[in-house]
Amino acid sequence: MTTTVLAPAFQDTPLVIGGRSFRSRLLVGTGKYKDNATMVRALEASGADVVTVAVRRISLDRTKEEGILFHLDPARFFLLANTAGCYSAEDAMRYARLAREAGFNEFIKLEVIGDQQTLLPDVAGLLEAARTLVKEGFTVMAYTNDDLVTALKLEEAGCAAVMPLASPIGSGLGLLNPYTIRTIKSRLTVPVIVDAGVGTASDACVTMEQGVDGLLMNTALAEARDPVAMAHAMRLATEAGRAAYLAGRMARREVAIPSSPTTGMLS
Amino acid sequence: MIAQLPRLHAVTDDRVVARGGIVERAAAMAAVAGPRLAVHLRTRALGGAEQLRLARRLREALGAHGSWLVVNDRVDVARAADAAAIALGRTGLEVRDAHRVAPGIPVARSVHDPAEARAAAAEGADFLVAGAVFATASHPGAAAAGPALVEAAATGGLQVIAIGGLTPANATAALGAGAWGVAAIRALWDAADPGVAARSFLAILPAAASLVVAVNGESRVVAAGTTLHGLLEQLGLDPRAVVVEHNRHIVRRDDLAQAALAGGDVVELVHFVGGG
Repeated sequence: MTTTVLAPAFQDTPLVIGGRSFRSRLLVGTGKYKDNATMVRALEASGADVVTVAVRRISLDRTKEEGILFHLDPARFFLLANTAGCYSAEDAMRYARLAREAGFNEFIKLEVIGDQQTLLPDVAGLLEAARTLVKEGFTVMAYTNDDLVTALKLEEAGCAAVMPLASPIGSGLGLLNPYTIRTIKSRLTVPVIVDAGVGTASDACVTMEQGVDGLLMNTALAEARDPVAMAHAMRLATEAGRAAYLAGRMARREVAIPSSPTTGMLS
Repeated sequence: MIAQLPRLHAVTDDRVVARGGIVERAAAMAAVAGPRLAVHLRTRALGGAEQLRLARRLREALGAHGSWLVVNDRVDVARAADAAAIALGRTGLEVRDAHRVAPGIPVARSVHDPAEARAAAAEGADFLVAGAVFATASHPGAAAAGPALVEAAATGGLQVIAIGGLTPANATAALGAGAWGVAAIRALWDAADPGVAARSFLAILPAAASLVVAVNGESRVVAAGTTLHGLLEQLGLDPRAVVVEHNRHIVRRDDLAQAALAGGDVVELVHFVGGG
């Protein structure tokens, strides 16, 4: 009997950000889960290496124990602290410095929010904070609009990754403008990771098919009826979109071309 | 040495408890004295459940002002009500047993002569309640030991709260003999206005060695000389799980024990929570 060894059909390069390599191109948040056990199971099902966390006041009431590190193993996941909820460059820098002091890494997911209703970024504040934090030795991953000029400036400021949105945070509207995301990806050298707006697996797949380097999501998992199953779906969709992008899609044409031979038909 | 041990102790007895209204009267004193006041719940008449209900109400009224609740003898009630300290009478548990039942809570022992004071120090009491220093209506006919008892009790190095016939007029003598603070029953609980009575005691007691700082947006009273490390300890927080910002400056873990707090300081204690 002979054994056939199949070569893997699809092999990807790792995602490299700020000199660090990650296997998974799916990055996930840890917020808004109904309980910590579900959160941990969803993170595992997602296959993510990088998980985001927020910096907040500790509860002085010792009966509450809501620190995420009681549930997450920092040896298993790479903790990416964010500056969510910050509305000025100064606030974002303060949160970033506090996050770094926790002692895990120099990475920061920089958010400077400019509008409460849409949570769209304040790009002037974002650039200011990014420049300062890069000088202070942070590895900055900047959450931004799907705007090419801002993305170019963030890269020039020394950001390790630029993270344009697919649609507003928590909206689940999916990828609203594939064109701008493709344009940003085509012009930047640093990794482009689409952050925010993905609602379901097809959104993740379509986004990855644009050729971006990775995808960051939170609400799509946390607010799914079954977050663990959705995390599994997102993992497959991210991989599928990435593989399809690398495979190179066929040309679009507006006429049909038969897939079966036109010869050999019965007379 | 318990730096934040209050100087004024309002001790109840069964008569005071039976009369009712002690939560309101305790609150009136706490509003005046803040962290300089400790209220001792001492009753043999109430059963455990009833005592715990009362202890919890007291704890809530006192905690709002940073005042202490001390529960006498009932270590279980003290623990369940989250009391700041336990006071053991002559017939109470041994100190080490009280520590075992309620770890981390200071335990005082009532002492009536120098020999008892030495024994209490030997068994690991955290502070002493010594009396009767002066003649008292609570123990009619009992001989008053005088300030000499305070002096003898204080030689062991433990803080001594003088009890027995204490009034604002004679408290100075007890303090002169080395008392850390004074305890009173009638002079406080029977006063027409307990707040006014507390104030007249406070006027002759050493000024509060405490300061007010803002921790995560809440005012907290800490003893003078408290470091950031000490603050974390008091809050039961592991320094490795917290990042500390002191007046907008991040303090590295290794420096926490050197960073002393000053009045009006702003401290932020943060950690990681779930986020996207």
